[in-house]
Amino acid sequence: MRRAVAPLLAVTVAMVLADSAVVTLALPDILRSLDASVGQVAWVLIAYNLVLGLAAVPAATTLSRVQPRMFSAVGIAVFAGSSVWCATADSIEVLIAARCLQAVGGALSLVACLEQLVEEQGERRGLATWVTAGVIGTAAGPVVGGLLTQAISWQAIFVVQVPLAVLAVPAALSVASVPPADWERHRPAVRANVTLALMSAALTAALFLLVLLLVEGWGRSPAAAAVTVSVVPVAALAARPLAHLLRPPPEVEVAVGCFLVAGGLLGLAIPPSANLAWTVAPQALVGLGLGLTVDRLTSHAIGMRLPRARHAGWTIGARHLGVVLGLAVLTPVFTADLRDAQVPAQEAITALVLDAPLPPQDKIAVAQALGRELATQQGQVPDLHRAFSTLDLDPEDRPAAARLQSDLDEQLKRAATWAFRDSFIIGAGIALLAMLTLVRPPRRTS
Amino acid sequence: MSALPRWVGLPVGAVVAVGALTGVQVANGGGTYEPLRPADACVERPVTSRADGIDGLTERLVLLGLADAACQLGASREALTLELAQTGGRTNAEVDAVRQGLLSAVRQMKAEGSLPPASDLVDEALATADLNGLLKRVILALPDSVVDSALKTDDVLVRAIDDLDLRALLSDPDDQRRLEQQVEVAVTQAVKDSLVARLRGLP
Repeated sequence: MRRAVAPLLAVTVAMVLADSAVVTLALPDILRSLDASVGQVAWVLIAYNLVLGLAAVPAATTLSRVQPRMFSAVGIAVFAGSSVWCATADSIEVLIAARCLQAVGGALSLVACLEQLVEEQGERRGLATWVTAGVIGTAAGPVVGGLLTQAISWQAIFVVQVPLAVLAVPAALSVASVPPADWERHRPAVRANVTLALMSAALTAALFLLVLLLVEGWGRSPAAAAVTVSVVPVAALAARPLAHLLRPPPEVEVAVGCFLVAGGLLGLAIPPSANLAWTVAPQALVGLGLGLTVDRLTSHAIGMRLPRARHAGWTIGARHLGVVLGLAVLTPVFTADLRDAQVPAQEAITALVLDAPLPPQDKIAVAQALGRELATQQGQVPDLHRAFSTLDLDPEDRPAAARLQSDLDEQLKRAATWAFRDSFIIGAGIALLAMLTLVRPPRRTS
Repeated sequence: MSALPRWVGLPVGAVVAVGALTGVQVANGGGTYEPLRPADACVERPVTSRADGIDGLTERLVLLGLADAACQLGASREALTLELAQTGGRTNAEVDAVRQGLLSAVRQMKAEGSLPPASDLVDEALATADLNGLLKRVILALPDSVVDSALKTDDVLVRAIDDLDLRALLSDPDDQRRLEQQVEVAVTQAVKDSLVARLRGLP
């Protein structure tokens, strides 16, 4: 049992931070299952990050007055209980409420797990474990969520967390430690936390918008999207050995990380086609940037600063409020761009149907089927396969109809990619802004 | 001269990687992966049809007419098609543009020599026409040269387009049956008017 304590606490940290983005790929399923609007379903993401961001510092302040093991166990138990509540939610309002409670449990367990990992492994190793678990959890969240949604259901995302959390409760209770001393106070690392907040906002574009583009825009399955976006966590893991090999100064490491995230997001903004292969290199740059910045900045904001838990609270707050900032900035942009993309997409589709080498009656039938499909999709990308499968075509016209379907599908992908472009570019701009926070103003000399 | 520190490789590598990625993507069409832009409606484009007879003629007329109407309205052919596909009232400008577009299409097809002679369309037209059986047989028995000298396709089409109540026709494009009925009535009347005009013109 003793040996399993640190891994279980690390898994808890990864799980709580993975929940920040774990439902991204499940959002379309949740929208249909709970009969919610796009605006409501966005709050499944926003509520968790907002509450986690706001609750982290108060949770860390309270930790100085209670036993960390009790605090941690209660936090994990609340997290597990609210995960069950999320899985059984029968309305979007209930799910959002459950996600808020889940974030409160997450905030308690995150700050307490840091103290317990330091108690178990020592200052340096314990902090490194906490930071690494967080980076892996953040990057792997969408992948795990996508695979579970495709293989089972969106509810499975929350159900699988319960046994892990249940195992982590006794592990947390087994670590005997005293409440962290509150008498020594270091100032919060403002610059590092601001950079973290901006980087989290920028990474929102990669972690949330890319999966939406893959699933909703390019029509990929959640599992295919999950496998595709796994490039980010894999590249993030490669960042540490790279930094260890080259040993750059911390500011250079963070600046390069910001630049790589900006470059990767720019690459995602201008893919030459909807082939998944074009997302691999941009994602690798984003992943490397994520690994170089978040790891280094988190360590800098917490390491050697007391009370440790409170600085962890500031860091968690900065990261998750950064995610909320990213969602707040990017969501209106890409939803407006998606709306704006409908007209050029409809015109492109109209041009292809009018000029298709099909008999006029078949063209009319295609147009009517597409019209019906558009009417039932409520602003989402229409299902062309369903529209074409309803057609009664002569065998000799089927190859032309199949070509038309493929051409229309290509136009929809082009429109979706075009609609996401501005959001990725804004994400890149935020990453460059994060780089600017590293520039120190010259000191005044008297 | 002191050697550069090893860490310099990190920013240099990052700049090279981002530059290479952007360069490769732009070179392969990145940045221009956008929906097809509608062609300028005022620029002539080839119009073909997979159908023969009346269906083929109608399709070519409608496609040419739509492009001409869109050109007059300063819109794309696709934008006008989408607008006309919606149920609802039409503006005078739209109705006039569609009528002028169809008439222009007839003139263009006549000039190109792509209008079929009336004799090519008679069999198909009679099959659906509400005429006495004996009369149908008599018309079918006429030689093509007689039909073609009695009826000019362009004249019939122009009369039919002038007769059509386009405002009513365009107000509900989903009502296929009503549309076919109106066109049939207009074409039948146009054939009669054309024949009468020919008879009056005889010496």
